[in-house]
Amino acid sequence: MPIEINWQLLMPELVIALTLLIVLVFDLFDSISKTVLGWMTIVGAAIALWVSIQMHQAGTVGTQFNEMFKVDNFSLFFNMIFLVSTILVVLISMSYLDRGDRKQGPYYLLILLATLGMMLMAAGNELIIVFLGLELMSLSLYVLAGYFRENPASSEAGMKYLLLGAFASAFFLYGIALIYGGAGTTSIPAIAEKITAESSSPLLLAGMFLMVVGFGFKVAIVPFHQWAPDVYEGAPTTIAAFISAGPKAAGFAAFLRIFMEALPNLQTEWSGVLILLAMLTMTVGNVIAIAQTNIKRMLAYSSIAHAGYVLIGLAAANNDGISSAMLYLLIYCVMNIGAFGVVILAKTEDGESLMISDYAGLGTRKPLLAMFMSVMLLSLAGFPPTAGFVGKFYIFKAAIGAGHIWLVIIGAVNTAISAFYYLRVVVTMYMREPEEELEFSPYASTLVVGLIIAAVGVLLIGILPSLMLTPAQNSVF
Amino acid sequence: MLLSTVIFLPLLGVIAIALLRGLGASAIKGIALAIGLITFVISLGLYTGFNADTATFQLGGTPIEWISGLGISYHIGIDGISLWLVLLTTFLTPICILAAWNSVEKGLSGFMMSLLALETGMLGVFCSLDLFLFFVFWESMLIPMYFLIGIWGGERRIYATVKFVLYTMAGSALMLVGILVLYFQNDNSFDLTTLSGPFEHSDLLFLAFFVAFAIKVPLFPFHTWLPDAHVEAPTVGSVILAGVLLKMGTYGIIRFCLPLFPDAAEKFTPLIVPLAVIGIIYGALVAMVQPDLKKLVAYSSVSHLGFVVLGLFSKNPAGLQGSVLQMINHGLSTGALFLLVGMIYERRHSRMIVDFGGLSKRMPIFATVFMIVTLSSIGLPGLNGFVGEFMILFGSFVQGAFSKIYVVFATAGVILAAVYMLWMFQRVMFGTLDKANEGLPDLNAREIVVMLPLLLFIVWIGVYPKPFLNKMEKSVDLVVTKVQAAPAMGQLEKGVPAGTKLALRKTEHEQSEKEANTK
Repeated sequence: MPIEINWQLLMPELVIALTLLIVLVFDLFDSISKTVLGWMTIVGAAIALWVSIQMHQAGTVGTQFNEMFKVDNFSLFFNMIFLVSTILVVLISMSYLDRGDRKQGPYYLLILLATLGMMLMAAGNELIIVFLGLELMSLSLYVLAGYFRENPASSEAGMKYLLLGAFASAFFLYGIALIYGGAGTTSIPAIAEKITAESSSPLLLAGMFLMVVGFGFKVAIVPFHQWAPDVYEGAPTTIAAFISAGPKAAGFAAFLRIFMEALPNLQTEWSGVLILLAMLTMTVGNVIAIAQTNIKRMLAYSSIAHAGYVLIGLAAANNDGISSAMLYLLIYCVMNIGAFGVVILAKTEDGESLMISDYAGLGTRKPLLAMFMSVMLLSLAGFPPTAGFVGKFYIFKAAIGAGHIWLVIIGAVNTAISAFYYLRVVVTMYMREPEEELEFSPYASTLVVGLIIAAVGVLLIGILPSLMLTPAQNSVF
Repeated sequence: MLLSTVIFLPLLGVIAIALLRGLGASAIKGIALAIGLITFVISLGLYTGFNADTATFQLGGTPIEWISGLGISYHIGIDGISLWLVLLTTFLTPICILAAWNSVEKGLSGFMMSLLALETGMLGVFCSLDLFLFFVFWESMLIPMYFLIGIWGGERRIYATVKFVLYTMAGSALMLVGILVLYFQNDNSFDLTTLSGPFEHSDLLFLAFFVAFAIKVPLFPFHTWLPDAHVEAPTVGSVILAGVLLKMGTYGIIRFCLPLFPDAAEKFTPLIVPLAVIGIIYGALVAMVQPDLKKLVAYSSVSHLGFVVLGLFSKNPAGLQGSVLQMINHGLSTGALFLLVGMIYERRHSRMIVDFGGLSKRMPIFATVFMIVTLSSIGLPGLNGFVGEFMILFGSFVQGAFSKIYVVFATAGVILAAVYMLWMFQRVMFGTLDKANEGLPDLNAREIVVMLPLLLFIVWIGVYPKPFLNKMEKSVDLVVTKVQAAPAMGQLEKGVPAGTKLALRKTEHEQSEKEANTK
């Protein structure tokens, strides 16, 4: 039976795949400056982003390949998150790679591959496709985490990520197998039809919880979070920014798709677990972040805590919950990559200035940079009028609408806790005198552009939330 | 439109300073002062345009849809209560800018930007009629204050500023939950004007709001951040903190806690009133033994704000009007006290009482101004403090919703205030002049200009408070009506005839009004 392919539906993915091939080919020519590859990546991602936005506005819906691949506003909104993260990460990577005289071709290639994997995850209408996307993304990320081969910390990060990531994938696959055993299919809509609240068997529940474990590893939920700080610390800073943004969103995309669309009838079983995990994740992430002295580790624990906030939206399990989780992931990606961008700028040649105390006096010596960092940190802490506040507010609203008042109280208290360590960086920048001069790499124009985009985005969404909130609300399955 | 201009003009100043910071210190100061003064002048239009015959919110214009997906609109307006707090804010800000003229050594543009951004935040809090908008201003105002204390403060500034932010955030976290719960009980809207009880879980909602406000006030035992913040803050920071920020707590109580949750307010009155009285006495006793002038004034704030809370929970027109008036009075007197302490600190670089003595001989103008402000703070008849305190105590005693014994103790606080203030004045101004203090110059022209407007209002309110009370009367009465409906409703549920009780309260109410008028 010939398969009819609706090329238009696959446009964003195709653009990324094409860009990938172009980058691969152009990498062969030594005469071409390697920054060109970065620009190609950006242009490709920007085109895919533009296409996704157009399709989102048109409300395109459709399935492909025997209903294995589903394009709807949900997957298109996530495409936007992934592509924005990719563009920002490439922008902050270009000068970073130049500085260390790194090989650039494979780097952009792997980033594009990972992006493609994420897009597959969000569009997967079939557990196997989701798994394929997950692996495509994860394998690229393992390599990227260990990209600085000669740096033992980077190699260690790559190794650690690979080992724990492989475990997670195995858990996830095992979960798929058990669900297949229980439902007799791996197609997401078919599972939803087969499984009713009465038909829940121990087999299905076991499969479901194995999947929670698998996802838990990928998006770094407590108690499956141990890899995150080590990998973030060791991996190249740009890759730490990347891992904390797009892949986390992709994990949540698949999480949402599978639990809300395939297993809604088991909601009573899983929502209690998610509530517990959300409370645990926020609290552990924030409390441990307080004790960190290394800014990358602090951002790692903060990233864990933010996964907890997103889980609140998932636990609410209503339309608001889904769209608030999506909005929050978008906002989080932008503000977190922005924060990492500043860390990259502040890094000296020998790469040894990652202590928070190194930022002392930044406010007077680099007022603009300090201002950027403050905006990002205040947004991460959830102060108005930044986007972080809007995101948190919407998530809390969704959860209260679902009746989870205690969950929101714990979330709100966690926000206050998190303010402590984010503000500590601000304190260091503005209120402490530097002990020794920290050298800064010169402002690279690409990095500055990335930072400006992030800052404008954070403030714009903060002041005019409807810009992104309405699209997010229109993106629920 | 007028109100929006008043709120956002300072923010425009922030942007102007950010763009023009290269022009040098005097230009920055000039812009800041000009913006502060223009904002004040425009805000006077609010006073003239305000219709005191109605208790409705006015001058805000039509609400503008802001985040339609969440039912949030940009909805502002003022009533007779917020009118005064808005004017207090616009009045104090230019005074603060002028007071900080020569005292900021580093980062002048940042200082002025923080000050103006703070003004926008404070004004927004007083004018918001949308709960979301209110919360946005409430939280965003923390950031400039955080910088003001943290960058331009004293030695332990970082500890103080972090403590200030964390205390406030801990309180507002719960308030956020309360706001969201209210949203779902208000037909998915954050509009304050459509909010009307009774609400489910009103006890918990009341507490969620009240704790946030009590921390801000600060009510005993939530007050520990205050002395630290005041002592470490730069002079201007202390003035704004005492003058306006603390009022946000009491404003919140009168705007949200009392009218929205009258049942719960009634229920918790026996708990809150003792705390207020403990605050009055405790603040006064601790102030008495402070060796540091600034700390003394800081603790006196705890005591004074205790009076305001007491008046609010007396739940009758005299008490509430007194409380609102006392908010303004405290802003003027304590603001003036902090300014005076700042002036003497700039000269001597010490705030220790033992370092001074006999200053009245060397600095006669300073001593005179200090005397007037001290007497105003004590509550001498003829000055502003007396009117507010008298109305609060009168309202509480004659028909307070609580035992008269509390009022007796609170009155003791007035005496204690006289003790610590006059004793401090005596030690600083009289006695032998220390050698180190012989060269201290008296107030210069700028400092006199800073103090004069404050003195003017201190006397004005003391002698002729009527225009101030007139404007707020209707709005206060509305709050009183809402809050007094509660016990009757509570009685109704228990099966006791409600009509009699209500009628009784009403006649009492009228009587007191007559008395207040004759007075």
